[in-house]
Amino acid sequence: MTEPLLSVENLKTQFFTEDGTVRAVDGISFDVHEGEIVGLVGESGAGKSVATSSILRLVESPGEVVDGEITFKGETLFGLEEGPDGEPQPSEEMLSEEEMRDDIRGNEIAIIFQDPMESLNPVFTVGGQLREFIELNRDLSTKEAEQEAIDMLREVGIPDPENRYDEYPHQFSGGMRQRVLIAMALACQPDLIIADEPTTALDVTVEGQILELVEELQEKYGTAFIWVTHDMSVVAEICDRVNVMYLGEIIEQADVDDLFYDTKHPYTQALLDSMPRPDETVEELNPIKGVMPEAINPPSGCRFHSRCPEAREVCTRVHPEPRTVAEGAVADADAPTEAAVADAATDDGERPHTVACVKYDAFDVGYDSSEPLETEATGGFSAGLTDTGGEADD
Amino acid sequence: MTDELASAGDVAEGEPLVEVRNLKKYFDNDSGLLGGVDVSTEFPFVERSPTHVQAVEDVSFDIKKGETLGLVGESGCGKSTLARTVLQLLESTDGDIYFKGEDLTELSGEELRTKRKDMQMIFQDPQSSLDPRMKVGPIVEEPMKAHDMLDEEGREERAKELLEKVGLDPQHYNRYPHAFSGGQRQRVNLARALSVNPDFIVCDEPVSALDVSIQAQVLNTMRDLQEEFDLTYLFIAHDLSVIRHISDRVAVMYLGQMVELADKEELFENPSHPYTQALLDAIPAPDPRAGGRTAVLKGDVPSPVDPPSGCRFRTRCPSLIQPEEYDVDDATWRDLVEFQRAVKRRAFETTNREELRRRYFDGDEPGGEAGDVLSEALGHISQEEWDEAETLLTESFAEQSVCATEEPAYEIDSQYGDGRHYAACHLHQGIATASGSDAGVNEGVTSDTVADETAEPAD
Repeated sequence: MTEPLLSVENLKTQFFTEDGTVRAVDGISFDVHEGEIVGLVGESGAGKSVATSSILRLVESPGEVVDGEITFKGETLFGLEEGPDGEPQPSEEMLSEEEMRDDIRGNEIAIIFQDPMESLNPVFTVGGQLREFIELNRDLSTKEAEQEAIDMLREVGIPDPENRYDEYPHQFSGGMRQRVLIAMALACQPDLIIADEPTTALDVTVEGQILELVEELQEKYGTAFIWVTHDMSVVAEICDRVNVMYLGEIIEQADVDDLFYDTKHPYTQALLDSMPRPDETVEELNPIKGVMPEAINPPSGCRFHSRCPEAREVCTRVHPEPRTVAEGAVADADAPTEAAVADAATDDGERPHTVACVKYDAFDVGYDSSEPLETEATGGFSAGLTDTGGEADD
Repeated sequence: MTDELASAGDVAEGEPLVEVRNLKKYFDNDSGLLGGVDVSTEFPFVERSPTHVQAVEDVSFDIKKGETLGLVGESGCGKSTLARTVLQLLESTDGDIYFKGEDLTELSGEELRTKRKDMQMIFQDPQSSLDPRMKVGPIVEEPMKAHDMLDEEGREERAKELLEKVGLDPQHYNRYPHAFSGGQRQRVNLARALSVNPDFIVCDEPVSALDVSIQAQVLNTMRDLQEEFDLTYLFIAHDLSVIRHISDRVAVMYLGQMVELADKEELFENPSHPYTQALLDAIPAPDPRAGGRTAVLKGDVPSPVDPPSGCRFRTRCPSLIQPEEYDVDDATWRDLVEFQRAVKRRAFETTNREELRRRYFDGDEPGGEAGDVLSEALGHISQEEWDEAETLLTESFAEQSVCATEEPAYEIDSQYGDGRHYAACHLHQGIATASGSDAGVNEGVTSDTVADETAEPAD
């Protein structure tokens, strides 16, 4: 297998607030290969958007990327090395702010945000904004850029692009605006597009149109995508590989088929079980108990143990790092460091299914002999949500 | 619950609690001093031509006691307007709304205010529907105060009892809304709606803003409460999966009109309106092997200021019916419709006749009268006369269809269960059991149909 296009290693992003340090992203690693769609799934507050902002170095004070390494096509987007005083400082290879702005953002890595109304300036015409973006990033004359902008609008399925070019964002429907943003993202033919919940605000029919368009364009241009979403159905439809996030960590990483048909982590399973299905009538939904704890003071051990139906005593003590558990790749689990997992991904071509849960043998921390934990999720108490309000006490 | 609070309950289980008849709600499109004023260079220079947004157009349906009626549709199709008009939060333009047999549109302000004790609403955004400066307890007590229920102590006791019922800690009585998560705030909203012991609750997208895992918790709670307090829900959502989970019957809206209404199983397993089918096809199943969505609906919802004639869905319908005067086979007719819509959207640049023929008809062109019209249109396009081509194609094909000339309303046989199935689509013209104003939605108008409907709604 070839070198990954983008590689994220042990990324940590923290927010330093008055109430303490929020560890929004806490040591995540994943790769994106050329032309693939990688999903980043999780509930609100899991750290998905912070992770993508970190990749583009868009995190602003009080937030800061504090550790990890991000490489993109051999260039270091973020890296640390030990400075003379022993404190980590940005490494020499790390691109400067200017290089990030001129070469990476927009040109190499583009981003599409959730709310298309907020990403477009309401006082400029849609065409003008698209033209300006092309003009700045591709060194074209105004006239050429205008023609290119009209072509892009047609490409993404805007009806009557010559006339709509001069219209303002409020004259476009939500789906149309999202198409404009896709046009903008594609305009410089980047290698990677980060799509941050691009269809969440749209109707299913429009979402279908947009996903169809993305698949078509992806085939044509071979662009890789990081697709951030909370919707498992969207993941199932377009992603090749999926990372499931919970409270700042990636807890399961697998090819899309394995994730749905060979689900390993109890959280992923619970997420799938809690969804109402469009294709069958389910009498009683099986929700995940409780709410996601605050990232400021995450539970000890496995962060999901407070809501996990399979939690045992050992889960509160041992913090699991993702390890390869799937059949076939298990041999690699002898030296189950993160590096080994990463190697396994690049060496034998078979992408591993990694999961961070101690109930698997790869961890060998005595899960089987451990006492089941008495929580509401395991049926310890019958009450509904009453104790989860505790988070509000802090 | 104490006896004093028990509902009057003069409507038996399964009988219509709410009956909506030919409801219309128009919004004036021309507010402001110069609203609707057109200026031209010819006499009389200034003209006032008022336009209306037809948000809800001639909608009739019943909600039976104890059931959940799901209401789905894309954004902007008038779901929320319909719900608010049913509660008379918005004054209706025309039509009647009977609640327990009483016409709400005829009630005066104060009578209506008292009636609201029996009809409550839950809004979409759990953040903005709670006053941030009030504690949760008083928020829940507020409706009781407005309706003079109980004394102060009694209200506090009931508020705490309700907080517990909706799955919150009664000790949270003294907390402010900001201390709660989105799901918990929605539970506070539920408790507030329940405080006056209503019979009917309109839920406007109550779970759309919540995460899936939390969504499921709230949906389960709503179901439990429905059983315990014998509630009737009108449940609005754009998410068909949620609708399938919670509803007994489902109504589908498009551009202010009801296009299909049937029991849940029947609607999902035997969708009989092309729009419902398109909506169902558009939802992805959470299954990577399912092969994705089949056919995606093209285009946007047209403007409700000037909606299409006849069936409002016809401008996007994949199965537009062929006008009688043409005689082309189905595949070619679909190509023609496709081409007409492409011209309307200006979806292509080329004006080359041959290329267009290849792209849209693939050598399989219509003959006869339809072929003549097509040649003429292609002629216009090759001269870059787009507007002429569009008008010609639209007038000769799209507007000749029965879909454009007649408003559909049919009732068909149910395949699943024995509920009524209303589908506003001319495809059912031949097989419908009733049509026009006799069709499905008006159940309960005459006493003998009511008798048929006394059976428990399928759960």
